[in-house]
Order: sequence, then structure tokens, then C-alpha cells
Amino acid sequence: MKFSIYRFNPDVDKKPYMQDYEVALEDSDQMLLDALLRIKDLDDSLSLRKSCREGVCGSDSMNINGKNGLACITKLTDLEEPVVLRPMPGLPVIRDLVVDMTQFFENYNSVKPYLVNNDAPPTTERLQSPADRAKLDGLYECILCGACTTSCPSFWWNPDKFVGPAGLMQAYRFMVDSRDQALDERLDNLEEPDRLYRCHNIMNCVEVCPKKLNPNAAIAKIKDLKFEQAREHKNKAKKHIEIKAV
Amino acid sequence: MLIELLTKRYPGMRAWLSQRLTGLAMAIYSVLAVWRFFWLAPSDYQSWLAFFQPGWWRLATLLFWFALSLHAWLGIRDVFKDYVPNDTLRAVLLKGLVLLLWLYLAWASYLLLA
Repeated sequence: MKFSIYRFNPDVDKKPYMQDYEVALEDSDQMLLDALLRIKDLDDSLSLRKSCREGVCGSDSMNINGKNGLACITKLTDLEEPVVLRPMPGLPVIRDLVVDMTQFFENYNSVKPYLVNNDAPPTTERLQSPADRAKLDGLYECILCGACTTSCPSFWWNPDKFVGPAGLMQAYRFMVDSRDQALDERLDNLEEPDRLYRCHNIMNCVEVCPKKLNPNAAIAKIKDLKFEQAREHKNKAKKHIEIKAV
Repeated sequence: MLIELLTKRYPGMRAWLSQRLTGLAMAIYSVLAVWRFFWLAPSDYQSWLAFFQPGWWRLATLLFWFALSLHAWLGIRDVFKDYVPNDTLRAVLLKGLVLLLWLYLAWASYLLLA
């Protein structure tokens, strides 16, 4: 099978280049990652990240024939030859297919991706009703591979400002968690014009998500929550005026 | 509630919502304009004058220009943010844009109200 792979070693190369490989596959080689490991047997200078080999860790995300995805769950039979592999776009390349994901995780951390609850901790655990738990479905499954965020032009142009689809989906995941108490702060945290509203709904994130999640829907729901927040602020202000009048 | 979302408390939502509301206003005007165009079928100078004669239509056209100006400001501001990384050049371009949009709005107002 034929491959064309992006190569760049900053210690040696002045600029990146594409290197062609032709590799004989075994019957057991079903996924792209299997083929990449065969290539690594031929040329161990090729760098890539990998870990779980089953689409759970998100390490081996890369740009496969122009579309971001995970090498370990991409079937070789689905790929046109030569298979063109590049690092995920929009992030600095460390070497070959390995990118520096610092900015991605900074954006993720900026939405406080953890429960904020000021009540005294219970003796066992904070419970949820099955209905409240169901609200997290389609959100908590994100593996933070970065495929969606690095497919998003709004992130390419403003990586330090626009949170990106993965971070925004996790922001919404904690906004709708019945155990969380920081909804207002979370919404205010995204109010700066470029953090949330740079999403133009082009749906690249939805198209590439290897877990079939929908960050675009989560972003739309954050805007719905903004409307609810404004309604509540207005009602509170009304009550305040009425109390003052009395 | 819409008015609340257009206050300074919600700077991001204010810009986002303004762009959608101005877009909606322009869409409504465009439908009305096409309908009136086919209904009145202006073909010469006098009939075009008559087309713009009703006061309500002049006001609607002025509102359309205002919506267009605001919509363009929000959109082009984003384009400049994306493609003009130099702060000074971006500030100059944004000021130039504001001046141009105000001039167009003033010109449209003069034509419609004079």
C-alpha cells in the first residue's frame, strides 16, 4: 500500500517535506495505525503518537487524506491511495506527525472542566437522577483528541482567543451537570466576543469527530443558556425594583 | 430579554445577536423590495421616483441601510481580526471602515430624506 507522509525534524530539516512509502501489509493489518507501525519497522525515524490502539486515548489523531481522524480506528480499506498523512493543522509541529497540543489544552483548561460545588462533600458521592445523568450523554464521551478543534478555521485564525469546539463542548458538559453550581460564572467566562461567538457553524467539527459527537449542537445550547441567563437577570432586576418600591 | 442581551453586560452576545437581527431586517426588506419591484415595475426616472415616494418606504430603506452598515461593521471587523495581525494597521483599517460606513449612511439619508 502506498503512503505519502509529512516529515519534519527541526534538528535536521530546514522545511517540511512529503516522503513516499510503499509497504506490504499482513492480513492482520486492518487499521491505518497497523500500517504506520509497519512503516515504522522500515523507517524508525518516523514519529507519531499512539497508545490505546482502540479509539479511546485520542493520541494518534492526524490529518488523513485531508480529513482529521484517529489512525487506530480508520480502516485501511476505506482509504484512497496514496494515503496522504499530515499532522493536525493549526498547531505547531514538534516532529513529523506529532503536534504541540499546549494551546489546545490551555483552551480546554480555561473553561474549568471540572465540577464546581461549594456544598460540603457527602459521605459517599454526589448523586444524580437518571434524567440528569442522561443530559451528559453525547458530551462526556469526548476523548480530547483535538480532531475537531484543529479542523476549525476559527481556531486556526484565533487559537489564543477562540476556545474551540472541544473546549466549548466540555464547557456545556459542566453547565448542564446537575451537581455543578457555577452556571453563571461559566456563561460569563465565555462572554468575551471571540471565545464562543467565533463559531460560524460550518460543522467541520461534527464531520471529523471520531466519537460521532456534535460540538456544534453544544455551542448552540450554550447560546440558549445565555438567553435563559438574560431572562433570569431581568426577572431578578424586576424583583429588586419591586422590593425597593415596597 | 432581547434588549437585555443587547446591553454591555453581554458584549459577545450583543455583537452576535446584532448581526442576526440586522440580517433578519435586511432579509425582510429584500423580500418587500422584490415584491414592490415586480408590483410597480419602475422603468424610467419618474417611476423610480414614485417607487421611493411613500414615506414608510423611505423609512424602511433608511433602516435597511442602518442594518446593512451595522452588519457590515461586525462582519468586516471579524475579517480584519483574522487577516490583519498588525495592531496599528488593523486600527487604521477599522477607523477607515467606520468613516466609510458613516459616509454611506449619511449619503443614503440625504438621498432619502432631502
